[in-house]
Amino acid sequence: MSVTAVDLPVAVRRSRLRRFLRRFPMSARLAALLLIADVLIALTCPLWAPYDPYEAGTGLPFSGASSSHLFGTDILGRDVFSRVVYGTRYVLFLALTSTFIATVIGGVIGLASGLAGGWIDETLMRGFEAIISIPLLVLALLAITAAGPQASGSAVLLIGVVVLVYTPRIARMARSVAVDLVTRDFVIVARARGEPVRSIVWRELTPNAAGVLLVEFGVRAGYAPILISSLGFLGFGVRPPSPEWGLMISENRAGLFTAPLTVLAPCAALALLVISLNLVTDGIARALGRSVERTP
Amino acid sequence: MILRLIAQRLALAAVTLLVVSALIYLFTSVLPGDIAERVLGRESSAEQREIFREHLNLDDPVWKRYGVWIADVARGDLGRSLVNDETVTATIGMAAKNTLFLSVFAFLLYVPVTLILATLAALSKGKVPDSLISVATLIGLSLPEFVLGTLLIYVFAVQLSVAPALSIVNPGDDLATRLHATVLPAVTLMVAMAVYAIRMLRDNLIDVLDSEYVRMATLKGAPRRRVVVRHALPNAVGPALNITALNLTYLIGGIVVVETVFSYPGLGQVLVEAISVRDVPVVEATALLAAAVYIIANLVADVLALLLNPRLRTP
Repeated sequence: MSVTAVDLPVAVRRSRLRRFLRRFPMSARLAALLLIADVLIALTCPLWAPYDPYEAGTGLPFSGASSSHLFGTDILGRDVFSRVVYGTRYVLFLALTSTFIATVIGGVIGLASGLAGGWIDETLMRGFEAIISIPLLVLALLAITAAGPQASGSAVLLIGVVVLVYTPRIARMARSVAVDLVTRDFVIVARARGEPVRSIVWRELTPNAAGVLLVEFGVRAGYAPILISSLGFLGFGVRPPSPEWGLMISENRAGLFTAPLTVLAPCAALALLVISLNLVTDGIARALGRSVERTP
Repeated sequence: MILRLIAQRLALAAVTLLVVSALIYLFTSVLPGDIAERVLGRESSAEQREIFREHLNLDDPVWKRYGVWIADVARGDLGRSLVNDETVTATIGMAAKNTLFLSVFAFLLYVPVTLILATLAALSKGKVPDSLISVATLIGLSLPEFVLGTLLIYVFAVQLSVAPALSIVNPGDDLATRLHATVLPAVTLMVAMAVYAIRMLRDNLIDVLDSEYVRMATLKGAPRRRVVVRHALPNAVGPALNITALNLTYLIGGIVVVETVFSYPGLGQVLVEAISVRDVPVVEATALLAAAVYIIANLVADVLALLLNPRLRTP
């Protein structure tokens, strides 16, 4: 029988949490604060953002930083500060939702495949291997092409693209964990007892793979904003008037000489978000005693 | 034994490439709507569209068209661009040369930077240089290429004006002109690749420096420099080969963004343009080329690892 987190008495779980927090490094704590700030900004920005992010002509185009426009205005005279603040919503929502869906789907497929073994496992993994050998961004661009012009720019498509790109990679990781777990006694016993596959995956494998999957989620969530904003920068992400950071950087590049903050501010916002996601992931991994593997 | 293993890897790579080609073809063929209308425009007559469809055999089932396409590709015929009716080979040929130049430039910067910084970090484990390098690589891997490229343009082109903001190259340029034009994109790509490799190589080196044969070499009185260069580095580089293969693939994806940032006329630009005008044969060829580079790079890394592993050398 496996010991799952669900079976543990509350006191044990609480002391586990305390031990986890004690091991959580300082850098990760600061990064977690930044992340919380980002979430708060995303939730509350309509209440305090000085301008409507879509409103053109709030000032002269590329007029530079001033007290009324902290980061200046873009080519249409829109307030860049308000646009950067609103951009948090797009990036956070798209990145976290898509990574979460991919982790759930990839995790389940990977664990089940590792448990099943044999030709099912072999076929699935060969197929995923083939998808992985198309470079991440090229695959994303192919998927956007396949979806056609009507769908392009929609949030659903972007989430779908990230899920498509991530699922095989996460499944491969989950599968390697499962292959290691299925040789352990508690899985052998569960199988001998005649537990159904669903129950083995859910009750035996998932709790034991949770740490690895959590770290994997963090690593992927740290890259998702880069992927989404890169697509925006290339012109295949969210549609133009939207205040998405990658798109803003591409739109405002003409103002790099006259009003550099209009480009540097969204750059900084994006970099800070990704750095804090990565630091929190590193912290969680260290507190769980796991290593973080980041591959390009 | 080793020959059989290599043959096995080769066969596997060939199968993967075939599956990938089918996937790419499927992706570009499931396009919703009428491809003829999309390419020729809404104003085109039904007759024109019919000729277009006939020309591309669009009424055949997908698997049949895939068969024809892959047979042509195997013979080196990548088809014709839908936009200018030139052969795809001609369209991507020049761009591929430019991309190759940029990749080699970036790669030549990447190798020494990675080796030097990783060795420095490993030798000063836990001290200031190690921490600085660790922070720098973490920041580096959190910066998207287009942000890094834009920052480099801001510092070196706008503020210092020592390098051009746009990488414009002409066919007749000499090497020095080309290097000057492409230095910023090459550095961007180098940084994006090096951050992963430095972290990995540092960890490997620390493990190797702690191993018995390195201690043995030190105890025998070999100078520190010789111990690091001759004993530790070769053993730490092995596992880093894989990440270098991954980096080569990354190059293909990253290059799409970097070429757009610097308006460099390479494969990435061709791909982005072909996607926006839905020039399917060009998209297919570029994507297939990208996947082939990945598969071949991995194959080479695998075979090298087999050849370098002494346990596999004897039958």
